[in-house]
Amino acid sequence: MDKNNSNALVVGAGVSGIRVALDLAQQDFHVTLIDKSPAIGGILSQLDYQFPSNHCGMCKMLPLVNRDASSQFCLRKGLFHENINLLLSCELSELSGEAGNFTARLRQKPTWVDPDLCVGCGLCEKVCPQEILDCFNEGLSSRKAIYLPVPHSIPNAYVIDLAACNRCGACEEICPTDAIQLSQSNRKEFNILVVDDELSIRDSLKEWLEEEDFSVEMAVSGADALDKLSQKHYQLMLTDIKMPKMSGVELLKEAKKNQPDLSVVMMTAYATVETAVEAMKIGALDYLIKPFDPDTLVPMVIRIFQDIEATKDREITIDTIILSTGTSFYDPADKKNIFGYGIYPNVLTSIEFERMISHTGPSNGELVRIDDNMPVKKIAWLQCVGSRDIQKNADFCSTVCCMIAIKEAILTKEISNHKVETTIFYMDMRTCGKSFQRYYDSARDKHGVRFERCKIHSLSLDEKTNDLYIKYISMGGELKEELFDMAVLATGQRPGYKTAQLAKICDLPTNPWGFIQTLPFSLTLTEKEGIIAGGSVTGLKDISQSLIQASAAAQNAGFIIHSKGNKQLEITNGSKELENKEVYRDVSREPVNILMVICTCKERLNRFIDSKILIEKLTQDPCINNVHFMDNICTDQGWQEFEEVVHSYQHNRLLIGACHPYLYIKKIRELGKKLALDPVFIDVVDIMTGVFQESTDSQNKDIAIDHHITSINITGILNAGAASLKQAQYQVLPEAPAGIPVYPKALVIGGGIAGMTAALGIADHGYEVSLIEKTDHLGGNLTWLKHTIDGLSCEDLLEDTITKITKQPLIKTFLNSQIISCTGYAGQFITIIENEEKQPVTIEHGATILAMGGNEAKTKSFNHGADNSSVITQKELEIKLDDKTIDPQKLSSIVMIQCVDSRQEPKNYCSKVCCPTALKQAMTIKKLNPEAEVYFLYRDMMTCGFLETFFTQARKDNIIFISYETDNLPQLEEVEGKIIVNAFEPVLGRPIEISADMVVLATGIIPEFPDSLAAMFGISQDTDGFFQEAESKWRPLDSIKEGIFACGIVYSPGSVPESISSAEAAAHRALSIISRPTLSCSQIVARVRHSLCALCQQCIDVCPYGARMLNVEETKVLVNEVMCQGCGACATTCPNNASVLQGYSGQQMLGVIDAVFMDILN
Amino acid sequence: MAKTTFLNVDNNNVLASIQDLLKSVLEQDDIEAILAPQNIKIGNNDKGINIMPVLIYDPTLIEDIDPLAPTFVMNAAKLVSKLTHKPMGKKIAVVLRACEIRALIELVKLKQANMEDIIIIGIDCLGAYTNKDFAKLAVSDAKELTQQFCENVLAGKEPPVEGGPDLSSACRVCEYPIPENADILIGLFGQDIKKQIMLQSLTEKGTALFEKLSYTESEESSKKLADRKKVISEVIARKKDFRDKVFEITHEATNTLEKLSNYFVGCINCYNCRVACPVCYCRECVFNTDVFNHDPYQYIQWAKRKGSVKLPADTNFYHITRLAHISLACVGCGQCSNACPNDIPVMELFKYVANSTQAAFEYEAGKDIDQPLPLSVFKEEEYLDVVGIN
Repeated sequence: MDKNNSNALVVGAGVSGIRVALDLAQQDFHVTLIDKSPAIGGILSQLDYQFPSNHCGMCKMLPLVNRDASSQFCLRKGLFHENINLLLSCELSELSGEAGNFTARLRQKPTWVDPDLCVGCGLCEKVCPQEILDCFNEGLSSRKAIYLPVPHSIPNAYVIDLAACNRCGACEEICPTDAIQLSQSNRKEFNILVVDDELSIRDSLKEWLEEEDFSVEMAVSGADALDKLSQKHYQLMLTDIKMPKMSGVELLKEAKKNQPDLSVVMMTAYATVETAVEAMKIGALDYLIKPFDPDTLVPMVIRIFQDIEATKDREITIDTIILSTGTSFYDPADKKNIFGYGIYPNVLTSIEFERMISHTGPSNGELVRIDDNMPVKKIAWLQCVGSRDIQKNADFCSTVCCMIAIKEAILTKEISNHKVETTIFYMDMRTCGKSFQRYYDSARDKHGVRFERCKIHSLSLDEKTNDLYIKYISMGGELKEELFDMAVLATGQRPGYKTAQLAKICDLPTNPWGFIQTLPFSLTLTEKEGIIAGGSVTGLKDISQSLIQASAAAQNAGFIIHSKGNKQLEITNGSKELENKEVYRDVSREPVNILMVICTCKERLNRFIDSKILIEKLTQDPCINNVHFMDNICTDQGWQEFEEVVHSYQHNRLLIGACHPYLYIKKIRELGKKLALDPVFIDVVDIMTGVFQESTDSQNKDIAIDHHITSINITGILNAGAASLKQAQYQVLPEAPAGIPVYPKALVIGGGIAGMTAALGIADHGYEVSLIEKTDHLGGNLTWLKHTIDGLSCEDLLEDTITKITKQPLIKTFLNSQIISCTGYAGQFITIIENEEKQPVTIEHGATILAMGGNEAKTKSFNHGADNSSVITQKELEIKLDDKTIDPQKLSSIVMIQCVDSRQEPKNYCSKVCCPTALKQAMTIKKLNPEAEVYFLYRDMMTCGFLETFFTQARKDNIIFISYETDNLPQLEEVEGKIIVNAFEPVLGRPIEISADMVVLATGIIPEFPDSLAAMFGISQDTDGFFQEAESKWRPLDSIKEGIFACGIVYSPGSVPESISSAEAAAHRALSIISRPTLSCSQIVARVRHSLCALCQQCIDVCPYGARMLNVEETKVLVNEVMCQGCGACATTCPNNASVLQGYSGQQMLGVIDAVFMDILN
Repeated sequence: MAKTTFLNVDNNNVLASIQDLLKSVLEQDDIEAILAPQNIKIGNNDKGINIMPVLIYDPTLIEDIDPLAPTFVMNAAKLVSKLTHKPMGKKIAVVLRACEIRALIELVKLKQANMEDIIIIGIDCLGAYTNKDFAKLAVSDAKELTQQFCENVLAGKEPPVEGGPDLSSACRVCEYPIPENADILIGLFGQDIKKQIMLQSLTEKGTALFEKLSYTESEESSKKLADRKKVISEVIARKKDFRDKVFEITHEATNTLEKLSNYFVGCINCYNCRVACPVCYCRECVFNTDVFNHDPYQYIQWAKRKGSVKLPADTNFYHITRLAHISLACVGCGQCSNACPNDIPVMELFKYVANSTQAAFEYEAGKDIDQPLPLSVFKEEEYLDVVGIN
C-alpha cells in the first residue's frame, strides 16, 4: 500500500471519524485517519457511560461483516484495520486540489516516545519529577510530564508533554526498551536569535533558553539582527517591537524577505498589543507581552520548536476529505461568571462530573468532593450554561445536555444507592430522540430525580462549608434559594478546537456561530465538492445522530471516490478466497513438536530469568523440543533474523514469547504461508508485561529480583500458549465454504424522500435497486410538505429527486406494489412483491432498506374530526395555507396546542418535528398578518440545535408561549361560534381564557410499519412501532438481522435533512454488503458437530445475531457463518459440546487453564 | 375447567380401583396403549417383585399394573421422551410420578419430548424405597405390600413398613408429592383409601377424558378438597423441614474443595448417575469424548503438582460439570443416588445446588411448561455484582 495515497482523509478520530473510516474501509477504500491528540475516541474516551443502557458500547461500531480485517476488541482501547492508516498527534495544515485529487499536508508531532517500542511499563512515570494537572480528568487530578493520554489504550504508549518536561532525562535513562527519544530532540541545532535593545532582557532570555539546551545568539538592534541572519541559519527570532531606528515590525518585514520560513515571535509591552497583532498578519508567528517570565516564554518556544523542528510533515494525495473534528465546550469561567466556576470549589462542568463518576477518574468513581473529600449528598444540575443565551452568542440549543444531565443524575442515584439528592434546574426538557422521553420519565418516577423548571438567578458560596446557595426564579416568578453541596453546569457546545482554522484551510464557510456550514437539505455536503462534514463539526449531535451523519458522510465520500477517483482497492475478498485455499502441510498426524522462540527484549529478560532453568522447565513437556532465545523480534531486523531461526528448526507448532501479541497478527499470517504451516499453529504470548511490572515494583526497593518467581510466571504463560497450540485444529476445514455469494442488488421499500435518496445513493455507486412504493406516486410526505422552517422549497427538492430517479437506469421503481414475502439473509434475500393486478414479481437482493416513512397521527382529542372545522392538525393547516383555503388575513387569534396525545403513554415519545413545524406556520401567519395573535400551549419547546433561533424569533414576533402540564391539560369550549381555550398560565399563576378562531393541534408522527411486514423480514419494532435498531446508539440504522437497514421516519421522526442523512447512511450500510462478490466468514465462528447435537435448540434461542436455524428437512442446526460473530454464547449454552467455537475448543481451554494453574500451584 | 369426583374403593383394595380406572382409560378408542409400572412375573416368582415401566396394549394385562408400589426403578420421563421425540401417530396414556412429570416438562422444553400424543395420569406420590431396599423388602405378595404401604404412609407412619427401611432420601426430602401438571390426577392424600380416592381433571385434555369416562363433578368436592389441601400442606411442610436439615448437612459436608473431593471420593466414573438422570439429555456426554482423553503426560503433570493424583481423574470435574449442565433442570427425583454403586449421596448435593441455582434464576424445574429455560433468555440488568458491570 502506498502510504502517501489514500482514497480518503478523515480528520478527527472521535466516534464520527472512526465511523467514517470504518465505513469506507469496509468498502475496501483506503483511509487515512488523523487526530490531533495522541489517542482516539475524542470526547467519548472521557465518558464511560451513555444512556439509555448507562454503559459504553463503542465496540458495537466494529464491522460485523468481513470483521477479520479489523481488530475485535474495545474501541476505546484502540483501532486497527487493514485499510485504515491511523496517524495520531497529527493535524491537517494545508489542503489544495479538487475532488478526486486533493493534496493534503499533514503535520505529525512527535510524542518523544516510540509507540512501537514502548511497552507501557510505567517506569518512566514513576521517576518523572514534573507534576501538572491532568487534562484527561479535566484538571481534577494531576499527572506527570510523561503520561498516558488515556488510561485504557492498547497499545498504551506513553507520551511526553514537552511543555511540562524539564528534560531531566530520568525517563530516558530508566526506559527498559529505549523507547524514549528525548535526547534525540537536538535542541542544540535549533538556533534562536534574540533581538532587543535592552541588555537585561537579552541576557535573561539567553539564560532561560540555553538552560533548555537551545542555541541562542543576541542582536542589539534591527540592523545587527539582519546582519546575523545573513551569516547563519536561524529557525526562530524573538524580537522586541519598540526599538530605536528599526522597529521590530520593520525587522520582521525585512527578515521575511530573505528568509520566508523564519519563525518570528514579537515581544511587546501591553500598550502595543495591537501592533503585535498587526505583525502577526504580516507573518509573525505569535507575540509575548512584557514583562514575561520563563514559564510563559519557555513553553511557547518549545511549542514552536516542536512545530518547526520535530514535526514530521507529510503530503498525501486523496480523493476526498471528511471533517469530523467535533465540537468543544463552552468555558463557563468567562467574564460574567455568575456560577462561580473555577472560583467556588464544587462547581463542575458536566464533563468534569463524568470524570468524577468514572472509575479511571480522580476519585476512582467515588462520589466525593474534590476539595474536602466529603461524600456528596445533594447535587444540582444547571442546564443551558452557555446555550440558548443570546448574550453569549449562543442562540442555539446544544441538543445533548438535557439527556446528559438526566443520565448523570440517574448514575448518581445508582452509584449512591439512591442516597444522593439530585435536582435538575431547566427551562425546557428536550427529549427529542427515540427513547428519550421514557428515559426522562424513569429518571423522575423510578429514580426520584427532581426536575425544577425555572431560571437560575445566581450561585453563591457558603465559605465555611464550601456548600453552594442556588437562587432561582420559579415559573411563578418567585425567588427561591436552596443549599447544595455540588453544582454541575451543563456547558453548551462551541465550535471544535481549531474549527475556524480548519474552515480556512479548506476554504469553507461557517455558520453564524462558527460551525461548518453545510448545503441546504444536506447535513454533510459542504459547498466544496469532495469536502464533507461528519458528526458534530456542524453542530452538536448525540451519538446516534453523529454516527448516522458519519455514515452519510462516508456515503458521500464513497461517491466522490467512486466517480472521481475510482481507486478502490482490489476487492480483498478475492484474495482471501485464495488464501483460504492455500495448501498448508498436513501436520495432524505428526506428533506435536513445538518450537518456542523467546524474545529477550535487548537482553533485559536475562536480568529476571535464568534461561537454563527456563529451558529445563519447558522441555520437560515432551511436546516442547526446542527453546530458542533471541533479541528484539519486534523490530524489522529482528523479525528477519527470527524467520531464519524458525526455518532452521524442525517443528510443526511455533510459539513466540514476546510482548503485544496483537501486533503480530498480520506477520503470523504471512509467516504461515512461508512455512506452509496453518497460522493456527503459530501463536504469540505476552511474557513481558509481567516482567516489566515486576521490574517497576522492585525498581526503587533495591531488592534482589527473585529469579525463581519470574521464570515460573513466564513458564506458566508459555506452557499455556503451548497447551493451546497442542490442541489447535485447522481453521480452514476442507468443507468450509469460501463465503456467501452476494446478489449485488438492493431492495428499498418506500418511495418517500428517504427511500428515493437511499435508492439513488446505491444506484449512483453502480448497483441495481428495486424501489417499492405502495401508492401510485413517489414523494411521500413531500407531496404535501411545501417548505421547511428555514424557507427551503420541498417542492424543488422533490422534483429534482424524482428526475434523478427517472434518469437513473439502475433503479427500477415498482408503484402500487406490496411485499408478499421475504426469505434469506444478508447477501441473499429473496423477496416477492405484488402489484395492483396481483402479479407476483420475485426480487433477489443482497441488502434491504426499509423507508416506509410515517404519518401525522390522527386524533380525537379536542373534538378533532367532529363537525368543528376550526380545530385542525398541523398537517391540515399546512395544506390549507398552501391551497389558500385558510386566509391568515381573516384570522385574528390562533392557538397552537403541542404534544396532543404525544409524550405520554401510549405514545410516549417526542416526534421532534411538531414544534418547528408549528413555529413555521405561526411565523408564516404572522408574516402575512402581523395583527393576528398566535398562542402556543406547549409542554417543552423542542427546538434543538440551530432551530432555537426560530423560537427566539417567534418570541420577538410577539407569539405568546404558555406552558402546560399533563395533569392540567387545556380545555376547549365553543361559545357563539368562537372557541374558548381554557388553560392555566403558570407565570401569572391563574387560569386564563383565550378566544380563538382556529386551534391547531400538533399530534406527532406515527410510523408506517405494519406488524406483518416486520414479521416477514424477521425483525422487530420498538414499543411505538418504529424500527427496532440493533443498538440505539452505536448501530442506529442496522437491524439485529444483518443486511436489513432502516432510514427516514420509520427509523425515527425527524426533519427532511435528517431523513436524507439517514437514507444516505443506510445506503452506505447496504453498499458495504452488496459491493462485495461474496461475504467472507471470519476465522472465529461457531460450528455444529451434528453427531453430538441433541437438537435441544437452546443455541438458537441464545444466538443474539440470529445466525442459527433449524433445518427441518435435515434435522440439523445450521450456522450462517457470515452472521455469526463468534461470541460463543451457543457454545456456552450447549452442554453437549456439539456447538463449538473454532479455536476455543474445550480441550484447548482446559489445557490452557491447566497450564496456568499448574504453575501457580507448583 | 378442572373437574373433581370421588371413586369408591371396594374391598379395601385401592390398587384394584386404580386398575379399573386405567382399564377404562385404555378401552377408550383414541388411546392406543398405556405406559405404567407393572409387576413382571418371572417364572415362579422366586426372584422377588419386579416392577418395571411397561407399555401395555392389551387391556387384560392391566391387572398386573401397580403404580402405587413403593419402588421407582427409573425415571420414566426418559421413556416418554423415547416415545414422543417424533410424532408416533397414536395417542397413549402415561402413568407417572410427580417427579417424572416434572422431568418430562424439562425434556419438552429441551425439545427432547413432546406432550401432544400423550395424556398424563398422575397419582399422589407416597414415595418409594431405593432399589436395594425394595429388593430386600419385596419378596412376597406385591399387592399386599402396596396396600399396607399406602395405608401406613397416609397414616403418617415412619418407617412406612414396620421394621423396614426408610423411604429413599430423595422421597423423604421431596416437597412435590402432588403431580400438579398431570392431565388427570388421582388423589390419595386426605382420602380414606379404604373407601375412596379422588379423581380430578387438571387440563382441557384431562377434562375431555374425564367426561368421556362419564364422570360428573362431585357435589361434595369443595369441602373435601379443602381438607385435602390441609393434609397436603402439612405433609409438604414436614418434608421441607427435613429437606432443610439435609441441605444443612450437605452444605457442611461439601463447603470446601477438599470436603467436596471427599464427598465424591468413591466415584469410579461409571457414569451411572448420568445414565439414570432423566434430564441429562446429551447424545454423547462430553466426558466420553476426546476432551477428557488426556495426554498421558498430563497425568504425570498432575501427580507432580500435588504429589499424587487419585484415579480415575476428573471425578470432581465430572460432577461439577453435570451440576453446571443440569442443576437448572434437576427435579430431585434421586435416581442418581439410586444408581450409584458406591452409595455416594449424589441426590443430596444436586438437589441442594439446584435449589440455589434455580432460585437465582427465579426458575423452578418442572413447574411450568411456559416458563422459558433460564439460559435461553437474556436480561440486560442481571447479576450486576457477578458480571462486574458498574
